[in-house]
Amino acid sequence: MSTLNVSNITDGTTTVGTSYVVNGSAKAWCNFNGTGTIAIQDSLNVSSLTDDGTGTYQSLMTNSMAAANYVAFGGGDVNNANNDLRRNVRLFRIETGLVKIACGINANSDTKEDWTNVYTSAFGDLA
Amino acid sequence: MTHLWERLLDAKSRLAPVQSKYRVLFEDPSQPDAPAAVLVPDPNWMAAALAGGILPPIDTYLRDRDVPDGQPKEHPYAEPIGAMTEEEAIEYLIMKDIPPHIWRDYNGNRSIMRIVPVELIPSDRSFRNAWKVNQETEMAA
Repeated sequence: MSTLNVSNITDGTTTVGTSYVVNGSAKAWCNFNGTGTIAIQDSLNVSSLTDDGTGTYQSLMTNSMAAANYVAFGGGDVNNANNDLRRNVRLFRIETGLVKIACGINANSDTKEDWTNVYTSAFGDLA
Repeated sequence: MTHLWERLLDAKSRLAPVQSKYRVLFEDPSQPDAPAAVLVPDPNWMAAALAGGILPPIDTYLRDRDVPDGQPKEHPYAEPIGAMTEEEAIEYLIMKDIPPHIWRDYNGNRSIMRIVPVELIPSDRSFRNAWKVNQETEMAA
């Protein structure tokens, strides 16, 4: 593996600093099926998922973040005929290498449910 | 030596994901009302573990648990270890991703953690919030 050490990247018309690319890239992400025996469909920098109960999961990173002030971001869908717009997902940064995910039925309830597709990502500085 | 994240990027670009045939069932004795949890190894992580030369020694993760937030951590810069078998990789993952009070410090009578083949995990999620580690037949119930 070789390293390209440059300050800027250009497509010929627009130039950006490589720090924008490095700082703006997701440092970890995961796409998983949260139903049945849950299954990871694709990921980067994830070591495992934990199924903690209905609609409740944890995503654990291989390379943790530098501090707990990173950003965890997610979404998903239930893949059924109901009104998915009312559903919501909450991500909690528990530790620098652990994000807890809760998939809810709607914004006005604490009731959780298993989602067919759950997407998570983490932005910030790596350890 | 390259940073762990760079090795993970390189591994993802050249290694096919490996779906493990194992899952880890565990209960948290500090949360007796919580259902049994199921740990699912990541396929890209498993591929890296089986290939070797990517993941750091497990003791670097254990030492990093005690590093205060925002302080430098050891595991991204540690010399990578060699290839593991799938069974060794699962043991590594237990120590990395399950809290020590479950896999190391628990002294109770209940069996609170089991490594099981994936087919023993119920795919029907009825009563999911009441799952417990079965004490008699050594499988999920």
